[in-house]
Amino acid sequence: MLKIGHFKKLALVVTLILMATLVFGCAPDETLEAPTEAPSVGEPATEEPAADEPAVKTSITILIPDNPVAFNGINTDTGYEQALGELVMLSLSETDPNGNIIPELAAEIPTLENGGVTFDEETWSMTVTWKLREDVYWADGEQVTADDVIFTWDALIEADAWIAAMDYTESVERIDDFTFIVYYYEGYVFPYYPLQFGGEDFFVYAEHFCDAEAGFYEWNCDDQPLSSGPYILEEWVDDDHLTFVRNPNYFEEGKPYIDQVIVQIVPEEPVKQAMMLEGDADLHYWPAEPASDVYKEPGNGTKYAKSPTERWVMRLIPNLYVKGDRETIHPFISDVRVRRALRMAVDVDTIVNDIFLGYGVPVWNDFFRPPFNGCDIPRPEYDLEGAAALLAEAGWTDTDGDGIRECHGCPNAAEGTVMFMEYAIYAEYGETLELTQQFIAESWNAIGVDTELQIIEGAIMWAEEEDGGTEIAGLFEMDMWDDGYPGTDPADQIWTFYYSESDWNYGRWANEDMDVWIDEFYSLDEEYRLEVACEMASILEDELPQILLFSTLEQHGLSERLQGVLPSANDPVTWNIANWTLEE
Amino acid sequence: MNLPLFMGVNMGQYIVRRLLQAIPMLLLVSIVLFALVNIAPGGPMSAYSRTNRMPEENKEAIRRSFGLDKPLPVQYIVWLAGNDWMPVDTDGNGVTDSYGTRKGILRGDFGFSYKNREPVLDEIAARLPNTIYLMTITLLAVAVVAIPIGIISAVKQYSALDNTATVLSFMGQAIPEFWLGLILIIIFYSTLNNPITGKALLPAGGMSTIGADFSIVDRIRHLILPVTMGMVGWVAWYSRFLRSSMLEVINQDYIRTARAKGQVERKVLYKHALKNALIPLVTMFALDFPYIFAGSLYVERIFSWPGMGRLFYDSATSRDYPILLAVLIIGAAIVIISNLLADIAYGFLDPRVRYD
Repeated sequence: MLKIGHFKKLALVVTLILMATLVFGCAPDETLEAPTEAPSVGEPATEEPAADEPAVKTSITILIPDNPVAFNGINTDTGYEQALGELVMLSLSETDPNGNIIPELAAEIPTLENGGVTFDEETWSMTVTWKLREDVYWADGEQVTADDVIFTWDALIEADAWIAAMDYTESVERIDDFTFIVYYYEGYVFPYYPLQFGGEDFFVYAEHFCDAEAGFYEWNCDDQPLSSGPYILEEWVDDDHLTFVRNPNYFEEGKPYIDQVIVQIVPEEPVKQAMMLEGDADLHYWPAEPASDVYKEPGNGTKYAKSPTERWVMRLIPNLYVKGDRETIHPFISDVRVRRALRMAVDVDTIVNDIFLGYGVPVWNDFFRPPFNGCDIPRPEYDLEGAAALLAEAGWTDTDGDGIRECHGCPNAAEGTVMFMEYAIYAEYGETLELTQQFIAESWNAIGVDTELQIIEGAIMWAEEEDGGTEIAGLFEMDMWDDGYPGTDPADQIWTFYYSESDWNYGRWANEDMDVWIDEFYSLDEEYRLEVACEMASILEDELPQILLFSTLEQHGLSERLQGVLPSANDPVTWNIANWTLEE
Repeated sequence: MNLPLFMGVNMGQYIVRRLLQAIPMLLLVSIVLFALVNIAPGGPMSAYSRTNRMPEENKEAIRRSFGLDKPLPVQYIVWLAGNDWMPVDTDGNGVTDSYGTRKGILRGDFGFSYKNREPVLDEIAARLPNTIYLMTITLLAVAVVAIPIGIISAVKQYSALDNTATVLSFMGQAIPEFWLGLILIIIFYSTLNNPITGKALLPAGGMSTIGADFSIVDRIRHLILPVTMGMVGWVAWYSRFLRSSMLEVINQDYIRTARAKGQVERKVLYKHALKNALIPLVTMFALDFPYIFAGSLYVERIFSWPGMGRLFYDSATSRDYPILLAVLIIGAAIVIISNLLADIAYGFLDPRVRYD
């Protein structure tokens, strides 16, 4: 009969055995190692294995926080779909970090000069002729042809999906295996046609592989894409990881240099940072600002990389009408002097340097990215006294001594109306934005504007009107969130935010001159477009339909050994993954 | 076959009656959940509005494909019973042109995810085994740790051991789970190294080492920290509960009688006292059974565990209604069943219990 003491001894022995197993039980054999010698650019990172030795493969790990939805640049939810799509899918063109559009599947970018683009000034109609490379093959050996591009386009149309210029395009006509022509409707000029079948949104799918009957949103290619890019999807474990291996049929000889890419889904920031510092990961996608600080520190095996240009601009969106009412103008936000005063009261430098830890750049106008950044719009000053004076000039003064102004002679409100507004941000950005909101609210309070701070879920903020969507239904007074256009052309974003008939002109600002200039902006004359951009920049500066504050940086944390990563505001960071190398 | 009498009632009859009662309860729960989910602000179309300036007609087409263009009661009927028996307007021209394709949850069709258009059951099936795996081991670990602590604390009441267990229990219940998980990673991943390999002592997350062959040791190493994080609060709770239950039992007359009759103390404790003290604990375990399905969001997020907790959270934040409703309604069904199991277990273990 066993006694209690026997149980104790048995438990002790079992515990010791388990501990020994865990301590001495090494991780399973690693079959993937980084090479010990740094490869030079242009040479593959792997070496040819000896006949009787197992091949040494190179591998990197990329950390993202969410499970991607699909290999589909249009049906996106997490923002990482495009980044992963770049590993396996090609499009006709790409944009490099400096804004240069480069051909990918296209043999060259069609232009007026090379005859690829025609424009009839009488009928105001244009065509674009695309010629494809003839040396690109799918992973199954089939050649990539114009049929694949047209197949993809037709699938988008059939599914009522939407990409830029879909409503301008009359038809797409195949000329031969590697040539097709795009006809645009008369009266529509599409200046950024080079990215219509390119950039981060459009991937070319294989006609012979994708199940057209299932449709663009539900076909097999969403999670089992046939690759034309540098990598092939080998494994996808939902919410855990995706594994990509090199595509032997990739058209750039010798590339990709890295044999395997593991994309690991790690929801929490501190865990991602810990993995980077332990050397278990090579790229931390969009780290929070404190993590970026860590990656900048020398000697911890990591480094920091950012794009030469910025994209995402944090902006205040004022509703010029009463919350939920599109007929009644807002008592004080509708007055441009008040909007100017609110802007004057925001200390952007402190926000950028102290809250965003320097990971931002002050921006005050939508035309801040090349080539449209040549307009002479002076940077607004931070001036609390000036802001207070402007509010007083607008008829808002504090006569009862409670620190909050009331209307006394203001143009759009009843006498005595208190200067109070709701001020909302979206929840998903995180603590940094909350601190920014609080800081700005304090500044406004200092000049006599009272606010109620709100943090709203993104699923509510951008929901449809019937679902109580904050923005589209005008259920807000002052919002703050970030936005930025992909690629290099702001035309669509400008139309979206500022055209009087745009549903996404959330503040309901209307200016006839601006509408005219927006229409003019759709031109093929680059010089003229620069002039038009400056006209619009002046109007936006005069009227402040939105108050731009600063641009956050397109930044990533990298391992020391990972080379060739060029973050870009114009494309996901993986845009040139075929060129990445490892160096110990 | 003679089924045991359950408080004078045939066990089978009792179970059948409870299951029949569960049907209207589940129906009512489904209505409430469906209404709450759909009435709450926000919607699945926000993913198409944030960065894609999709024209209204395109959004309408997507809403139509999701069935969101129908009134809420119709959406509920379709969700419940399908629409393959009713004509639908697929192209939005106001004229019905075919029958629907949905069969409804009553026939096992939970629809498709609004995010990735995959069948809801496929999404759940990809994650449920991971959660069952993690939570079963966690609950077993809780039982293995909490029961001895509860017994010893009761038997050696007010001893140094009991006082230590008490303090640790309060700490365990007070410690934020999320913080504990991060601390465990800092200690066992970032700080401590394996003395042999020089690598981190334990992994930071995931179920196994990516790309490696299956290994029991690897699996155990990946379980240690998430199980520890998950069990601390539960151990604190269950050990305290068992302590109270044991104290109540060991002061009973029949225990005193057993000792007086010369029974050895070990037999008094394990054969007479513990068996009775465990009765309420068994029912508590039965009531916690739904966690095996639902998982723990905090554990899964901190340790990157691909389970049901994260699926639920992601579907809630992105308003992926089909997945959200599936998780909720299946969870409700499991709660009802586990309550039934708890009642049955309690009735078996304690013959004094009477149910009408």
